[in-house]
Amino acid sequence: MGLQIKGFWETSLLDWPGKLAAVLFLPGCNFRCPYCHNHPLVINPERFETIPLEYILRRLKGLKGWIDGVCVTGGEPTVNPNLPLLLEGIKGEGWAIKLDTNGTFPGRIKELTERGLVDCVAMDIKGPLDSGSYSRCAGVSVDISAIRKSISVLASEGIDYTFRMTAVPTLLTEEQVYEAALQLVGMGRLLLQDFNPSDPLSPELREVKPFGEMRLQRMQGRVDAILGQRGDSYHEFPMLGRGHPLQRIRSSIGRSP
Amino acid sequence: MEKTEEGKVLRRDNETTDMALFVRTSDEQFSGWDRQRIVDALIKETEVDVVTAQEISREVEELIASSTISMVTSPLIRELVDAKLIERGLEQERKRHTRLGMPLYDVDQLILHPNKENANVPHGPEATNLTLAERIKKEYALLSVFSEEVADAHMRGDIHLHDLGFIDRPYCSGQSLEYIKRFGLSLPNSIAMAKPAKHAEVLLAHMVKFAAALQSHFAGAIGWDAVNLFFAPHLVGMRDEEIKQLAQMMIFEFSQQAVARGGQAIFTDLNLYWEIPRHFEDVPAIGPMGEYTGKTYSQYEHEAQRFAWFLFEVFKEGDGSGRPFFFPKPLVHITEKFFRTRGHLEFLHHICDVASEKGNTYFVFDRGETAKVSECCRLSFKLDASDLEDAKQPWKMRYCALQNVTLNLPRIGYLSGGDDRSLFERVEEFMDMAVRAHLEKKTFIEKLLSYGENGPLALLAMERDGSSYLRMHRASYLIGMVGLNELVQIHTGKQMRESKGAFKFGLKVIAHMKLLADQLSERHGMHFVLEQTPAESTAYRFAKLDLQYHWQKAHHVVKGDISQGEVYYTNSTYLNNGAVMNPIERVRQEGLFHPLVEAGALTHIWLGEAKPSKESLANFVMKTFNHTQNDQIAFSPEFTTCNRCHRTSRGLAEICSYCGSRDVDGITRITGYFTRISSWNKGKIGELHDRYRNQGFLRVEGRDERYEGEMVPLISA
Repeated sequence: MGLQIKGFWETSLLDWPGKLAAVLFLPGCNFRCPYCHNHPLVINPERFETIPLEYILRRLKGLKGWIDGVCVTGGEPTVNPNLPLLLEGIKGEGWAIKLDTNGTFPGRIKELTERGLVDCVAMDIKGPLDSGSYSRCAGVSVDISAIRKSISVLASEGIDYTFRMTAVPTLLTEEQVYEAALQLVGMGRLLLQDFNPSDPLSPELREVKPFGEMRLQRMQGRVDAILGQRGDSYHEFPMLGRGHPLQRIRSSIGRSP
Repeated sequence: MEKTEEGKVLRRDNETTDMALFVRTSDEQFSGWDRQRIVDALIKETEVDVVTAQEISREVEELIASSTISMVTSPLIRELVDAKLIERGLEQERKRHTRLGMPLYDVDQLILHPNKENANVPHGPEATNLTLAERIKKEYALLSVFSEEVADAHMRGDIHLHDLGFIDRPYCSGQSLEYIKRFGLSLPNSIAMAKPAKHAEVLLAHMVKFAAALQSHFAGAIGWDAVNLFFAPHLVGMRDEEIKQLAQMMIFEFSQQAVARGGQAIFTDLNLYWEIPRHFEDVPAIGPMGEYTGKTYSQYEHEAQRFAWFLFEVFKEGDGSGRPFFFPKPLVHITEKFFRTRGHLEFLHHICDVASEKGNTYFVFDRGETAKVSECCRLSFKLDASDLEDAKQPWKMRYCALQNVTLNLPRIGYLSGGDDRSLFERVEEFMDMAVRAHLEKKTFIEKLLSYGENGPLALLAMERDGSSYLRMHRASYLIGMVGLNELVQIHTGKQMRESKGAFKFGLKVIAHMKLLADQLSERHGMHFVLEQTPAESTAYRFAKLDLQYHWQKAHHVVKGDISQGEVYYTNSTYLNNGAVMNPIERVRQEGLFHPLVEAGALTHIWLGEAKPSKESLANFVMKTFNHTQNDQIAFSPEFTTCNRCHRTSRGLAEICSYCGSRDVDGITRITGYFTRISSWNKGKIGELHDRYRNQGFLRVEGRDERYEGEMVPLISA
């Protein structure tokens, strides 16, 4: 079908929160994000073995009862016009599908959601929704209207979705992260992830210090506040309702005894 | 005549050297030369005849006299005497006359440099004392407790006798808080006796002190059963703040006990339950001051759950600088009843959150009607019918494993040359040797116990409930294994992960060992059980010894980096640490061994720097319970802690991500506990490099070698 699968990770605990998911990595991408950590898949995918879909489906069959779904990522999966065929193949075996995308092809996303070929979408937000910031973060010139369109497609299709943003200190200031969040108000949740300097596409980013876990957590808190989301970092003690003393002492958590 | 001759010699000595010869004795005194002391020692210690003793003493005297030294030490005299015993072919006598100790250089090194055999021993005067004592007791054990055959098998590395330095103690133990709740803290040799605790804090103080006392009587772990439940009667009426405070005290007390024996934290296991375990439901509860409360434990579910909940809140926060606590280890028992208990899903998410965030949680699966008490690294005891009878009086629930002996399985592979029959015969031979070692240790410990409360193991002999604390008749004897994967690789040409046939052969070997253990138990009226040896240093020791004795074959199968000396065998029945395999298959396949390894087994899932959602981990845990035979799993994240700014970040890094310092240390699970990587031995460092941390990869075209082809890691999410 002209679509090659280059990476197959059988069980990820990370890619679909709450679920166990297999992950398929597809080659090629229309972006050149300087911080891209999967650039071998984008720049020279032909160096790597192609994994036959039949093999993948056979392996997945053996994981029935364990795996809750398949996450399709890349690269950018939607650059390939044959993506629907692949998703049909996976759907045909009864698997739920999550799609990772950068949102440059709203029409394709709409088609996939309308046809019920995806159950969940995670869309990257590269930065504030202006072509200057976006193109800087994506490494190519980006048509920002397509991005906006994808956002509204997701918000209107009634499927499960999240927005994600990789925070790279030299590409985005903290303020710009909040600016992007403001532009997403009413659209859903934005999850921040820290940038990994170990092997980015642009070698100069190797020297860049990530925001770090603590700062990122604080930034996530502000983003959640902007978007009107309640963070889920604290748990409810079962059996106890709100207003119980337990709720009160939560504010003191973090101090030493 | 002898006397005059002796007198002559002495006179001649005095004449020739023109000075008195002084001896530095071991009791810090100078004594004048007295040949008779050699004679006395020889007769007392070696039982040689008087004439030989006299002859030897004279010869040694001449030797010293003919030299120019004016001061000799008693160890030197002893060595000279030993040389004379060897000249006469008196090998047994020489052995009995051995002096145990260490070369000056070694002591110097020991005081200056940290010990890497056990990453749970810090470096300091107490640790040095421990190591020095261990060295002497180890030599004593090999010379005097064990037969020459057993000692030699250990020295060769056919088997490994664990904790030889703790020869005069049993291996590990599990107990119930009910013992101190009922009897208070009344220890032999102790100056003061404490009555049963009235307040929760005092109960905790008793628990910590008793644990320290036990640590000095056992080599390994000190486990506690259903801690949150047995604390519950003392928690009635306490506010949440107070319970959380108590949880903090408990965890900090056990994690900061690095001031006890050898500067070692007490290897503490806290077994925890969300539900009331069935065998405790109708048991009358003991409350403050050791009195029955008139209720049964099933009526304390709420307090028990609150305590468990807050313990995990403390684990989640980590220590004062956000690091995971290394000890105590929380083991949560997941049973069928767990899933029927209210609030279990919230609790499961809570402990999965801790597992993802800090890694502490151990998930112990008690399927069907078996109840278990987990002990040291991964040792657990299944409660049988008589235990369940004991459960009605929970203070009686005291268990121990007397010793652990591990078989070097790859060695069996080298020796049997690919022949099945020869291989299984050798498995039997090695098992017999392990059993012999157990019998010899048992005899020795029984001797120590026979002195009762005035003897060397007074604490274990104390009889507060009519029987001695250590219940010898209930002791287990562990038979562990290292390198099943490499045995299979040598024998079949494939690692267990690489072919179904190889995997099946591995199962066959362990099933055979289990069968033998059962037969031997019957024959000797003892309880021999297979265990997954943690093998923190044994996996390294066996690999090194096999590279020495079986280089030709061994250098193909030993794992790690030979050029760096970072070599190891795969632990116990594990599959290759580096094999790219999904965690589902790992828990499933490794789990197939677990029912055979009765004393407890564990599958590690190395997380690396990944931090999965608590819901995904809970999802995985539930499926592991439902779909596999796996006994126990733990998720292990990795951390970098900075020695300069004292902050801790996720993942292993060379530079602190906060302050940029290079003075950092990695932290992750070594075997059954978390610790700093700088304290690891080279073998485990080799394993750390190899660990597959559940990642996706790209495989370079045309290179299909399973483990060696160039692989490019992929990052998703």
